[in-house]
Amino acid sequence: MIRYVLKRLLFMIPTILLTSLIIFFAMKIAGGDPVKQILPENATVEQQENLREEMGLNDPLVVQYARYMAGLITGDMGESYVTGKDVLQTFMERLPMTLALGGSALIVACIISVPLGIYTALNQNTWKDTTGMVFALFGVSMPNFWLGLMLMLLFAVKWKLLPSQGAEGPEYLVLPALTVGLGLAALITRTTRSAMLDVIRQDYMTTAKAKGASHRRVIYYHGLKNAMIPIVTAIGMQFSLVMTGSALAEVVFSWPGIGRLVFESIDKRDEPMVTGAIILCCILMSIINLVVDLIYAFLDPRIKAQYSNKG
Amino acid sequence: MSEKKTVSVETLNEYKGRSLAQETWRRFLKNKGAIVGMAFMILLVILACSGDLIYDFQVDITGFSADLSESPSLDHLFGTDQLGRDIFARVIYGTRYSLIIGVGSVALGLVVGLITGSLAGFYGGFWDQLVMRANDILYSIPNIMLAVVIVQLLGKSIGSLLVALSISSATSFAKITRAAVMTIRGQEYVESAYAMGLPTWKIILKHIIPNCLSPIIVQVTLAIGSNIISASSLSFLGVGVPIPIPEWGTMLAEGRTYIVSEPWMCIFPGLAIMFTVLALNLMGDGLRDALDPKLKR
Amino acid sequence: MKRILAMLLALVMVFALVACSGGNNSGGNNSGGSGGGSTTKGEEGSIPGVQKTLTIGIASDINELDPQQQNDQINNNCIALTHQPLVFLTNDTNEQVACLAESWEWTDDTHLIFHLVQNATFNDGSPFTADDVVFTFEKAMDPDQSAVAATLQLVESVNKIDEYTVEFVTKSYSNELLAVLAGYPLVILSKAAYESGMDKPYTVGTGRYKFVEWKEGQYVKFERNENFWGDDPGQADEIIFKPILEAASRVAALQSGDIDVCIDPPINMLEDLQKDENITVETRDGTRLFYMGFNCEKEPFTNQTLRQAVACAIDRDMIIEVVLKGLGKAQTTVVNRGVWSFYDEMEGFDYDVDRAKQLLSEAGYSEGELAVTLYVSNAAPYTTIAPIIKQNVEAIGITVNIEQFDEATLKDKCQSGEQQMFLWRWNVIDRLDEIYTELFSTDYATNYHQYSDPYVDEMAVKVLTEKDKETRLQLSQDLQTYLVEACPQVPLYVADLVIAYNKNLQDTYLFGGGNHNWSWAYVSLN
Repeated sequence: MIRYVLKRLLFMIPTILLTSLIIFFAMKIAGGDPVKQILPENATVEQQENLREEMGLNDPLVVQYARYMAGLITGDMGESYVTGKDVLQTFMERLPMTLALGGSALIVACIISVPLGIYTALNQNTWKDTTGMVFALFGVSMPNFWLGLMLMLLFAVKWKLLPSQGAEGPEYLVLPALTVGLGLAALITRTTRSAMLDVIRQDYMTTAKAKGASHRRVIYYHGLKNAMIPIVTAIGMQFSLVMTGSALAEVVFSWPGIGRLVFESIDKRDEPMVTGAIILCCILMSIINLVVDLIYAFLDPRIKAQYSNKG
Repeated sequence: MSEKKTVSVETLNEYKGRSLAQETWRRFLKNKGAIVGMAFMILLVILACSGDLIYDFQVDITGFSADLSESPSLDHLFGTDQLGRDIFARVIYGTRYSLIIGVGSVALGLVVGLITGSLAGFYGGFWDQLVMRANDILYSIPNIMLAVVIVQLLGKSIGSLLVALSISSATSFAKITRAAVMTIRGQEYVESAYAMGLPTWKIILKHIIPNCLSPIIVQVTLAIGSNIISASSLSFLGVGVPIPIPEWGTMLAEGRTYIVSEPWMCIFPGLAIMFTVLALNLMGDGLRDALDPKLKR
Repeated sequence: MKRILAMLLALVMVFALVACSGGNNSGGNNSGGSGGGSTTKGEEGSIPGVQKTLTIGIASDINELDPQQQNDQINNNCIALTHQPLVFLTNDTNEQVACLAESWEWTDDTHLIFHLVQNATFNDGSPFTADDVVFTFEKAMDPDQSAVAATLQLVESVNKIDEYTVEFVTKSYSNELLAVLAGYPLVILSKAAYESGMDKPYTVGTGRYKFVEWKEGQYVKFERNENFWGDDPGQADEIIFKPILEAASRVAALQSGDIDVCIDPPINMLEDLQKDENITVETRDGTRLFYMGFNCEKEPFTNQTLRQAVACAIDRDMIIEVVLKGLGKAQTTVVNRGVWSFYDEMEGFDYDVDRAKQLLSEAGYSEGELAVTLYVSNAAPYTTIAPIIKQNVEAIGITVNIEQFDEATLKDKCQSGEQQMFLWRWNVIDRLDEIYTELFSTDYATNYHQYSDPYVDEMAVKVLTEKDKETRLQLSQDLQTYLVEACPQVPLYVADLVIAYNKNLQDTYLFGGGNHNWSWAYVSLN
């Protein structure tokens, strides 16, 4: 098991290296001239040259990349061109906000989807099934930001129930989490439904029923227990979607997370910030993926056995 | 969309025999949601193709009138926008852009995904490592951020939008193809074809790809939907389809400052996106159920 | 089953924990007694009848609080609370009045003497003296330490005469040096704070408020300086600036009482806001001119007659109606409305399609022959203006392709002269030099028109240095007439300033261009 984790961690290195390479060069090409970004518009040519030399921008790109990677290893990812703040530090300040939003969105999604999935599976091919699935699909069929704007219109502007934007307490989390969560609901509902359909047909369910277990007990104890693995897998697979969804909701609700940081930095051509934030996102996602995999192993002894064999 | 369907049915006919395709079709028809979805998509394709017959781009779509910001009425079914352009006309005309972007980016992603996925699955080793690592990278960067960077790099146009969106779909296609190829590769009929000296590309084309079609068909329908949404999200972030093209996402982005005072500017393009993606999802779900051997009864 | 449940629970707990820690980041400040960016709607502060906190919802992010490292309007709004300049620009007469300097005089063409106030203190309690002024300006003139050094090019040195007198030695006389010194990048910093080695020494100033904290992307918070040296201190206990970039969200926040002031409410929401009995919508004359510029160095717009033809094709009234719902004023001249010597009586090139077509053929082009690109930023209002211009110009037979960029890229491209036509704006309150030199002088970095004319260069200097007011007025108006004829830009409109706030907001000090000073403002609870 430990060997497996180590191996996975080792695999992360080339991933991160390649990502940083691609993003670094992409931003170098797309980012424009940083000197013009930092200096005021009326700076003299001499000033520009001095700064360029000082920042090492006259070196070949490869050298600049090597320098950047050397910095990355020691945790020095440069400073923002716009605010002059340390990139890593800014990212770490924003990270808890995105995790909080993503986490609560997942919880919202599960609260909606798992019961809905079970309900539709139990009523397969009836109008209840169709209605339930269409309902689940609504969330994924809308652009996330549009749903966010509509929710804001209703809850914050019309009914004044919830704050429209900001991040000062738990109540501020409700609308963004609902927005992202509804977008995730479809996939989890769908997975729950098909997993339950699978399980319902299994022999042990019939056996349990034959043995006289109550309907409720059969479904929730025997059924849900076995449907859990594909459901957790689906949730694990959603993390990329969670990040994407959160990023847009952050813009709509002024939630100070990573997504908003990246978009605003791209808009301002804040090259070190964009490069750094995306590389850090990549590291973060790799770690999350690893944790999700480990959770499967923990959940399912068969998978665990597989790892030990391989490892 | 209708084009995709006929291709799939034909190929299925050719390689798997009539009965399976008919069986699938029969089961698909049983799913009411899927039928509604398909009917809606067919309608959209017709609208997209006939847009030019009804409207003149210069006059009706980008040209403005004196009826600024009017609410929906009989004259203007969906109202008019801040420049007095008829929103109904723009939504109808915009169908083609949303569909082109959705279908085009998926097609691009499909080609790339099929090639890389089958290479990885068939040859294994180095190719597999290469493709899977590339997938890891793409999987670990949130798609939308990657797309924004790509559009920045290539400049704001429909072309760069297609490229940006196709990358995320390519990842999932490559994964599906690879998994399917790996299971099929070891089977006897493939090995015998190999033994008969058929060139590799022929084996991939003739035996392997047809066999992983069903998960791909499902993925195609779903990916078109999600790419339409992604495109609108990019427009919202200001890097999508340039004005004054009436793509739905661009219309949403333009209308969002008017959301309180002239909500129809935002609501109708939003509904257009929602119903289209809903239709695609219903179709995808229907196809998934119809193609899923486990659900055969 | 238990194990699965346990795992799920653990997962939920991890997220809950993270969520809490995230909440705590901002919540932690709340426990300090004063709301960390949160509103205290209706809560009374230490002054009876005054709401404790004034929260201002702003339309763009604050990015720098070091005065000399920036010149962004929104940063300046913050700096105006904590710092004071030597001379203060009034918002009605556009005059410089005493602030940290009591009086001043030009002793000859190259010497400007300031007599400083003697009782002023910084908000950390230390006294304000001539040393601080000298320190501030020596730092400001050093391009390595300041981003605004270029605005002081005319100044050779700043010397201390005695404890409360300083002297500016300049290369020549300038009509606008005082106006430059009234700008917020050149507020007086504390020499002692810089020498103490403290963190962020630039936050120490003589203003009515003290800097408390800046949570990037969330808010900047200030508290009242209880030891303010003057006799009209701030009223609210705290002032908070909160960036809410999405316009609809910002209005929603005002309507729900989360903020007390909404900067830049979208024009189309005004009607709705005006109906809200808790909200006041104020409009006043603006100072920001929006224009369409030509690149005068790149084909085909090297041709002056062609530029005039395009100018005649543009329907400004339509643009004002659509973009501003009428809340703006069209103008012919290149000088922003409201600036001294503004002169709009020349014939110019008003909307006239027939004349436009005639000018087009005079310029040597036939209809349908030309295709040009228009570079615009992908922000409002440019995305609304651009299609109108496209339609207008295409009506005289020139095809227009719109290309959109983010603002940083657009500036880059315009600076290097890639554009043919572009949309931009320029905010000028009182300095003509910001127009004649910064927009039209040969090779000046912000001369996106790439316009170059020795006559204009020479006139710009004359307007800056001419002492006789009458002659100067004549010079400035002649130059305007000349520039309108040369047509490097089509001035579109000056947008009115529109701002919405809590109806109980008192003592605002607003500027038409947006450089507001919130030092006195408060929400009354009576």
